[in-house]
Amino acid sequence: MASVTYKNVVKKFGDLTIIKNLNIAVEDKEFLVLVGPSGCGKTTALRLLAGLEEITDGEIIIGDRVVNDVAPKDRDIAMVFQSYALYPHLSVYDNMAFGLKLRKTPKDEIKRRVDEAAEILGITDLLQRKPRQLSGGQRQRVAVGRAIVREPKVFLFDEPLSNLDAKLRVQMRAEISKLHQRLQTTFIYVTHDQTEAMTMATRIAVINKGNLQQLDTPQNLYDSPNNLFVAGFIGSPAMNFFPAKIAVNGDKVIVDTGDFQVQIPASHTAPYKGLNGHSVIFGIRPENIHDPEFAPQNINGVSVSSKVDVTELMGNETLLYLVSGKNTFVGRVDPRSKLRVGNTTQVIFDMDKIHIFDANTEEAIR
Amino acid sequence: MEIAKSSKKKTQWKRASLPYFYLLPAFLVMGVITFYPLIYQLIISFTNFESKDLLLGLKSPDLQFIGFKNYVDIFTAALPVENFNFFRVLEFNFWWALSNVMLHVPAGVLIATLLNTEGLWLKRIYRAIYILPVVVPPLVVATVWTNIFDERYGAMNQLLTSIGTYFGNTAPVYIRWFEDVKPPIPGFLPGAPLTLAYYAMMVANFWLGWPFMSVVATGALQSIPRDLYEAASIDGATGTQQFWGITVPLLRPAMIPAAVYGFTLSFNLFNFVFFMTGGGPARSTELLVTFAYNLVRNLRWYGVAAAFAVIIFVVALIVFLITNRITRATQNYQEA
Ligand SMILES: Nc1ncnc2c1ncn2[C@@H]1O[C@H](COP(=O)(O)OP(=O)(O)OP(=O)(O)O)[C@@H](O)[C@H]1O
Ligand SMILES: [Mg+2]
Repeated sequence: MASVTYKNVVKKFGDLTIIKNLNIAVEDKEFLVLVGPSGCGKTTALRLLAGLEEITDGEIIIGDRVVNDVAPKDRDIAMVFQSYALYPHLSVYDNMAFGLKLRKTPKDEIKRRVDEAAEILGITDLLQRKPRQLSGGQRQRVAVGRAIVREPKVFLFDEPLSNLDAKLRVQMRAEISKLHQRLQTTFIYVTHDQTEAMTMATRIAVINKGNLQQLDTPQNLYDSPNNLFVAGFIGSPAMNFFPAKIAVNGDKVIVDTGDFQVQIPASHTAPYKGLNGHSVIFGIRPENIHDPEFAPQNINGVSVSSKVDVTELMGNETLLYLVSGKNTFVGRVDPRSKLRVGNTTQVIFDMDKIHIFDANTEEAIR
Repeated sequence: MEIAKSSKKKTQWKRASLPYFYLLPAFLVMGVITFYPLIYQLIISFTNFESKDLLLGLKSPDLQFIGFKNYVDIFTAALPVENFNFFRVLEFNFWWALSNVMLHVPAGVLIATLLNTEGLWLKRIYRAIYILPVVVPPLVVATVWTNIFDERYGAMNQLLTSIGTYFGNTAPVYIRWFEDVKPPIPGFLPGAPLTLAYYAMMVANFWLGWPFMSVVATGALQSIPRDLYEAASIDGATGTQQFWGITVPLLRPAMIPAAVYGFTLSFNLFNFVFFMTGGGPARSTELLVTFAYNLVRNLRWYGVAAAFAVIIFVVALIVFLITNRITRATQNYQEA
């Protein structure tokens, strides 16, 4: 149990700066997920914390100890690798006991801890097997088990679920969440899958190109993304974006995309009053676009004329791929919708749920 | 119905016999160059075949079938050859092969591991250099090392002399590497005295042998995933513990077949031993193959040599079966 702090951390490989001034404060017992597109430096950030890479500049603090010069084994962390990195020549039991043996833990204590971890993970029957005799999901559990027995202060996970099939991934997601509640320890979890991040994290750090974009709870990230990148990265299907201009006309603020105009509700106009003619990106999530027939009554709806290009019937919802002039966008509508390919319709935008970003800085204006 | 069945059988037979048909030319060639001599040799191993019988072969009037006499003579050391004892040669031969492998494999692994260190400068150059011994002809190697161990002018004695001077011993060292019959460590290998020549050959063959093991180990090292070492370092393993806990067990599947290969190679290392010591002194470094060669080349006892070759064949077969079993028993960890 410990807090973890990245303080002005910089990592360069040669001339290449992979992480530029990273600042994250992870609280004790938190489940922090580092999420971002492939190659953004998530793994590197985690390896810096584990001590597998040396930081170029800044400080990493675990608990109240600066660990920059502390060897991996003395950092009191355990890591679950993306490849699992199980020792192929050792049985499951010995894989889990390896670290404890090296630390000269008494034999019966080792057995107690391994048995307990195996119990938690449901791999008691597999203890005598070799890694090659296990399925992907079982290997993953062993890798987690190897971390658990060490009873570390911080657990590090590097995309531990990426090698599993979709169904198993959902199941393991729940199990890792449960494990976190049970162990009451700090978890730092790397993934590029925003769904994983949203479902497991207490807080999410969104990283892009080695920079922290936003660090917040899943709900806050979803509801009020700080910038265009976070808005586009969190949520599936992704938020729709329309390049637009602000037109202020007395008390009214209009967003003009060229193909259609929508009026911002009077209660939200304050930040945009002085931005007449400003280039912005107008964003709205698919679920805030409704089929006129099934649109809720109490919303601040605005009609936008568009044509249905593709439909995807999911059963519990229908995805409409819509075209309006040069803009294409996705609506996630009621499954009872009768709109079909080729129909022209007036879809309803819920104007209370819109996002406006500066077209140049890509920061949210609110 | 019947007809259909029989014609089906016919095509089946055809299909089954076709491969043998294709193999026929190869069998014919092998028959002439392998099986015929093999059988001929087996036959003359029961005779007193000598040079005078070469012309007429088995039709030679003096040729006598003497049953197992050649075999018995070999096993009971009854051959009129100085310093010959079959079982001593056999024991030495096994020990020679074993001791070489026991030296080459660990050295090869160790050097490969050290040269595999991340960020080591000129890594490729070292690796290229240690390929050299593999490609130099053994005759050249043997000649060079024979000179190194020369009693008067050899580098080895000069080196020992200069080391001696360090400790205040100014007398030049004249160790007679290839003549001294007194084993420096008496009783080291009961039944087969190991003379200085053995140690000299070990040194020379070490130079020849470890690079191959190193090449194999280097290849195997590349295939050990780096994250295993990372996981181990988080688990608390020091460099040495990682070497013993991960490197060694994961190299084993690659090194055991290499060791088996090295063993059989050393076991029959004819040219090297022949050119360096000629089996001497007093036949103390004689291998089965060099002795067989002596029987033919120098003594021209073809009957005895044939019997000896048959024995070598049986020994080689046993070695092969054992090593084959060892190799097969070591399967890769990744394989099911
Ligand atoms: N040892 C290294 N030397 C040079 N560049 C490296 C090294 N390790 C990583 N990089 C580079 O750093 C960048 C970030 O790599 P990193 O592995 O942290 O990405 P990631 O966010 O984990 O991506 P993914 O989701 O694909 O795993 C990549 O561009 C990668 O090429
Ligand atoms: Mg990664």
